[in-house]
Amino acid sequence: MELRASRIPGVVSLAQGVPSFDTPEPIKRAAIEAIEKGKVAKYSLSPGLLELREVIAHNLEKENKFYDFEEEVIVTAGSIEAITATMLAILSPGDEVLIPDPTYTSYQPAIKVAGGVPVFVPLDEKKHWAFDIAELEKRITPKTKALLFCNPNNPTGTIFTRNQLHAVAQLAIKHNFYILSDEVYKDFVFEENGGSTSTGRSNLQRLYSLAQMRGIRDRLIYIFSFSKAYAMTGWRIAYLATHHDLAKKILGVHDALVTCAPVVSQYAALAALEMADEELAKYHAIYKNRRDLICRRLDKLKNIFEYQKPDSAYFVFPRIKEDILQKITPSGGSKEFAIELLEKAKVATVPGSAFGPVGENHIRMCFGRSEEDINLAFDRMEKFFSK
Amino acid sequence: MKPFFKKIVQFYLKLFTKIILWRKKPFIIAVAGTTNKTTVKEYILKFLREKYGEQEVRGNPRSYNTEIGLPLAILYLESGESSFWKWWKILIQAKLRALFSRKFPSKLVLELGVEKKGDMEYLLEMVRPTWAVVTNIEGSYSDAESNLDEIFEEMKLLAEKLPKNGKLILNFDDERVRELADFSKTEKISYGFSDGAEARTTNLKTTVQGQTFDFSFRDKHESVEIKKYGRHNVYAWMIAKIVKEVM
Repeated sequence: MELRASRIPGVVSLAQGVPSFDTPEPIKRAAIEAIEKGKVAKYSLSPGLLELREVIAHNLEKENKFYDFEEEVIVTAGSIEAITATMLAILSPGDEVLIPDPTYTSYQPAIKVAGGVPVFVPLDEKKHWAFDIAELEKRITPKTKALLFCNPNNPTGTIFTRNQLHAVAQLAIKHNFYILSDEVYKDFVFEENGGSTSTGRSNLQRLYSLAQMRGIRDRLIYIFSFSKAYAMTGWRIAYLATHHDLAKKILGVHDALVTCAPVVSQYAALAALEMADEELAKYHAIYKNRRDLICRRLDKLKNIFEYQKPDSAYFVFPRIKEDILQKITPSGGSKEFAIELLEKAKVATVPGSAFGPVGENHIRMCFGRSEEDINLAFDRMEKFFSK
Repeated sequence: MKPFFKKIVQFYLKLFTKIILWRKKPFIIAVAGTTNKTTVKEYILKFLREKYGEQEVRGNPRSYNTEIGLPLAILYLESGESSFWKWWKILIQAKLRALFSRKFPSKLVLELGVEKKGDMEYLLEMVRPTWAVVTNIEGSYSDAESNLDEIFEEMKLLAEKLPKNGKLILNFDDERVRELADFSKTEKISYGFSDGAEARTTNLKTTVQGQTFDFSFRDKHESVEIKKYGRHNVYAWMIAKIVKEVM
């Protein structure tokens, strides 16, 4: 959709899930300094610079996640490399991987690259996009090797509560499968609920993570990316943390895929963790305002959309009302609806079907964009729907 | 920060740090090495605070361990980052603290961050530790690093500059660190997993809840359980235990 949108002049895009900011200055300065000091031209150790892994482990410790930085933390070229390397390390051809429906679109290809089979587990929209644990268990077979999910969830912006996560963990123990918990939006939690607690640091809420449960550390792969939190999508830098036995297997694949994560980006990541707290808090406040803005604008289009208010991340995933969908695209679904919006209202969104079958009849809107863009997009949509 | 202004800030911060350390004469434990300094420092702080109380012991935050960070930590000030005006304010505060501050901890546990030749000399012009710990000398790159020999020279300087009544606590498992013992007149205490270490850990086991191990030091033996993973945490525990026992 983004590509299609780029061919149409004057389109406002709420499609691509990237931050509207540039990388914070302290991070850029640290990267430049590392280049100038001649520290980035060589391969680092395959799991990453020791000092970066040490700081990662310290930061995780502050969130009650305990890992050995020498043997249990691997710095990767973005979170998708962490996921793909893990899939290649744990899957045999035909193994099944459970993924929520709807979920991040790139999970399916990562599973398929490793010869795995993605199996959708429908989320319950009426329960704020929660896991239906009975439905989840029904889909577990002897071939089930892992559950891969993001929390907060993309595209819904919702959080899986502590109780749901504990139920998922119990299933993983009972049926012996791995859990990949992709927490790239963990720093953008706006609501205190069963899935988060206050950090005591500014207004940030802390997401409850399965990585805090010691009892499943041998089957949990925790993934975090610097892309969204620190506006570093282009730097391709992330990390995973897991039990040392599993980390050893994943490291072999990671080494074969990329040797090591880009060293300049590793120094940038180090600076992000050490110096960019203020920026993180600033982005959090801005995204919260944008979330409130987009919800207010959606409330004005009550006859067109209904939606679950996002608790986190920068996505909202409204359902298109049946009669409206029929009126705008009599024979189509969310894809045709999104194309109509793009071509007639010049607003780019992502059709919900891209995120799984349950996503059909929805569209994803990203409020990572500026308030100006959000307002312009909704002005155009209001005009379009009033016709 | 512009290089010229940085030099001015560095000069005054160093001066004010020397003044406050001269006035207050705290007992300084330096923690040096390529990694694991922060964990070691935190364990030492924890153990010493148990023994002497919260107010009596202070450490520097991890990123405050170089030519500008270290004086800021000693003077208990935040960084001015890239703001010219913030730095002027900091220099004024630094002067006031150096000359007039009353409360100051009696013990400082300071990470010394060393990257290249000359760094240690600069830091030692500012702080004179009585005790020093060296964690390791390891590389972050996949090929052999000549830089590690440079780091060794810096650690050697630290070992040489310790007073005769001081202590040098060395990682016996790291060959380079072990060699440092030859360059210091002070009392040496070695720690590690290897046979021959004066303070030694054996029977290390990882459990769901953390790690268990047996620790022996000067005729004392104990079984220990910590709720953290990785050998670096065991090293940190050993060092802190030595410091607490010997002090």
